[in-house]
Amino acid sequence: MSLQKLIIRRSLEILVIFFVILSGLFLLFHLAPGDPVSRMVDPTMTPEDAELLVSQLGLDQPLWLQYVYYVKNFFTGNFGVSFHYGRPVVEVIGERLPNTILLFTSSVILSALAGIFWGKMVAWHKGKPVDTWVTIISLVCHTLFLPWIALLFIWIFAYKIGGFPLNGMISPELWMDPDSGIFLKTLDIMHHMLLPLLTLFIIHVGSYLLIMRSSMLETLSEDYILTARAKGLNEKQIRNRHAGPNASLPVVTSVGLSLAFSINGGALTETVFTWPGIGRELIFAVSNNDYPLALASFLFISIVVLIANLVVDVLYAFLDPRIRY
Amino acid sequence: MRHQLYRAFFAAAFLLLWFGPGISAWAQDSTLRIGISEEPRTLNIWLASDANSRKVLSLIYQPLYNRDPETLRISPWLAESLPEYDPETVSYTVKLRPAKWADGSDVTADDVVFTVNLIQKFKVPRYYSKWSFVREVKAVDKRTVRFFLKEPKAIFATRTLINYIVSRKEWEPLAKKAETQEKPLTALLNTKVDHPLGCGPFVLEEWREGTSLYLKKNPHFFGQGQSINQRKLGPHVDKILFKIYGTADVAILGLKKGKIDFLWWAIQPGYLEGLKDDEKVKVFLSEKSALYFMGYNVRKEPFSDPVLRRATATLIDNNFFVKRVLQGYASRMDSIVPAENSFWHAGNLPDYGQGLSRAERIRKASALLREKGYSWDTPPVDDSGEIQTPSSIRLPNGRPMQKFVILTPPADYDPNRATCGLMIQEWLNGIGVPAIARPMSFGALLQTVKGNHEFDAFILGYGRLSLDPDYLRSFFHSSNDKSRGWNMSGYRNPEFDRLAEASVSAMDPDKRQDLIHKMQQIVMRDVPYIPLYKPQVIEAVSRQFTGWEQMVGGIGNIWSLCRVKPVD
Repeated sequence: MSLQKLIIRRSLEILVIFFVILSGLFLLFHLAPGDPVSRMVDPTMTPEDAELLVSQLGLDQPLWLQYVYYVKNFFTGNFGVSFHYGRPVVEVIGERLPNTILLFTSSVILSALAGIFWGKMVAWHKGKPVDTWVTIISLVCHTLFLPWIALLFIWIFAYKIGGFPLNGMISPELWMDPDSGIFLKTLDIMHHMLLPLLTLFIIHVGSYLLIMRSSMLETLSEDYILTARAKGLNEKQIRNRHAGPNASLPVVTSVGLSLAFSINGGALTETVFTWPGIGRELIFAVSNNDYPLALASFLFISIVVLIANLVVDVLYAFLDPRIRY
Repeated sequence: MRHQLYRAFFAAAFLLLWFGPGISAWAQDSTLRIGISEEPRTLNIWLASDANSRKVLSLIYQPLYNRDPETLRISPWLAESLPEYDPETVSYTVKLRPAKWADGSDVTADDVVFTVNLIQKFKVPRYYSKWSFVREVKAVDKRTVRFFLKEPKAIFATRTLINYIVSRKEWEPLAKKAETQEKPLTALLNTKVDHPLGCGPFVLEEWREGTSLYLKKNPHFFGQGQSINQRKLGPHVDKILFKIYGTADVAILGLKKGKIDFLWWAIQPGYLEGLKDDEKVKVFLSEKSALYFMGYNVRKEPFSDPVLRRATATLIDNNFFVKRVLQGYASRMDSIVPAENSFWHAGNLPDYGQGLSRAERIRKASALLREKGYSWDTPPVDDSGEIQTPSSIRLPNGRPMQKFVILTPPADYDPNRATCGLMIQEWLNGIGVPAIARPMSFGALLQTVKGNHEFDAFILGYGRLSLDPDYLRSFFHSSNDKSRGWNMSGYRNPEFDRLAEASVSAMDPDKRQDLIHKMQQIVMRDVPYIPLYKPQVIEAVSRQFTGWEQMVGGIGNIWSLCRVKPVD
């Protein structure tokens, strides 16, 4: 099958899958017990008040009609208005998304680069103490409980030692200061990013390192590596120019998918560090039954993941001409 | 050489990032920094339903009356004096004090009339029910307003008049625009308000969404330098900065580190020891107007039998919950109205198992049940009065009691209520009543209990109970026994209904007090709800500020924020 046909077929599959997700999400949210009004446990709010709210939110319509509006609105680009913000959800997501992308894309890229580099090195020194220790440490990092390590870092670096901010993305005092220029503000964001970035780096780097190590070991046993040695290339050239790039293919795939999944922002990281991203919004939206915001967030994440899958499939076929579907 | 350069670069960048912005961080001594758990969602007063939006808005928009921190009775705020009631015309006259909106224009009776008309016209949820019984509002003169009620309503003075007043200048154009839309109410609620115009002690300076919100002192605040309710008001801080903390752990660290001055957030008792030892932090323990209770579904047997409910109340040891489950940071409840609400709280209520040991409770409860015809093959108390493991209880008709479920919120939502459920299960099992405590997600629990009424028993709570006891009527009047109604137990008692209806129109506070006391006595006799406990509010502040006003509900109130000032 040609690459063009592959892309067309995959795109059609994605459309079908997306429609299933679109409907599934709607059903899951609306069939789950509880509604936005029932959570407002305020005895001064009368049943009549509750009915007014239900009607205002459009929840008094039959489920099938709500579904029709939902699908129609989606395809006309109208994602609805958040129950709690009273603003279009696209606007809310649009405000939070760049913050999430900034933090998580940086962390995925940095940890992938480090994982590729260190994975390559330890595979090269297979069986030596450095290999054993780095593998053990990577496994530990990979299995660390994120909120625990995040709180530990905050306690050590921001509270005990000091210097790092406890939370947030900016220092409001500094941003209110008319004398602080763009350089200081940029520095302030980077300053706030360091701890969450370090946490995410430690959590992610282990898995990339292990993937790279395993892929590198497999690559090193390939015939072309033997050929390279027979040609008289030095070890550094064989490691960095022949084995390394080929072995990093699975990591590239993993990075592609991680970038897509990182859009959901690692809700836990964002919550602990009070990072104003889409992950925190998702938690708020789900726990407060803010259907439009939650649905739009999930749909957005689904779209990104599906597109990333398509890109990875195409990239695979492109990078390795032997692969055909 | 190249590696050394890289290392030097990274080291310099790291040090710059670590210390750079911190060194130049700008600080203002007269800024009060408040930590909150979530970002305010909106500054549209009609939409705001989340606690943090309401905290911010409570410093911008103001009501005609407020609660006195000591007596909890209404006291004049934007109004100059207490409302005057005229029984002949069923009307209240309210005189406004001289006040200005934050833009310098006068607050007038016309603004009050506009506010009421807007709420009634749009039927704004959360507000409409409080104003729906007002027939007409008239501006008598620039500072006098008269409210004509459809019929006498006692809650008008205690609940309606403590709602916020908005500026006609701000909201008239927005309301007119909303009216032209297909769904006017939705349009009104979805109106984006960037700079709310209030007459309170603070105005919005900047809201950086997702990170922080700044308020600054309102130079036109009517209370500035005035003595209201024997309290001289400020505000004495130039600005308030609301900072958002995602978790309580980090917020506590922020307070200890001096990053915030007040944590406007109920702190869990587990954090208290660490805070008490900190010299820079002061902790306040306040009573709360709250109610945590167990309710039976009295629509169905055998829970429709008040004797079974009284026996359950006898077995439940509220003191155990207070001392063991809530570590002493709570009070036991003996009525639906908290004792701190002293004017409305009734004395002489049945005290069921109060002061009894576990064995005495079992003896008393089993005696009550036996007298009503309940029986056991092996009773919980043997012939010599000793406690023994009983067999399952039989109903008065001889049939064994079926297993039933006590629904509780899950432990991750509220560990206290989940634990109380388990304890009640054990205590009921101790006399052969086959109860099982089952945690259920909070949304599902509410839907089951409030929506479709398919349950046996439940444990729920109200963390912010109104100081006006009209909620007794909401909880137990038979007209509220409907889907989404507050009478979740399905309690129906014509005598109670009659008293509740009379209490609504009792304009004489003493007469109303008597009716409210009688209502409590009936409820505690029939116990559709068994009151359990109410937690205390634990709050912490930096010692850099003083002047906090403690009242029921804590120090996070308008009085505090009008009086708090930096320590000299």
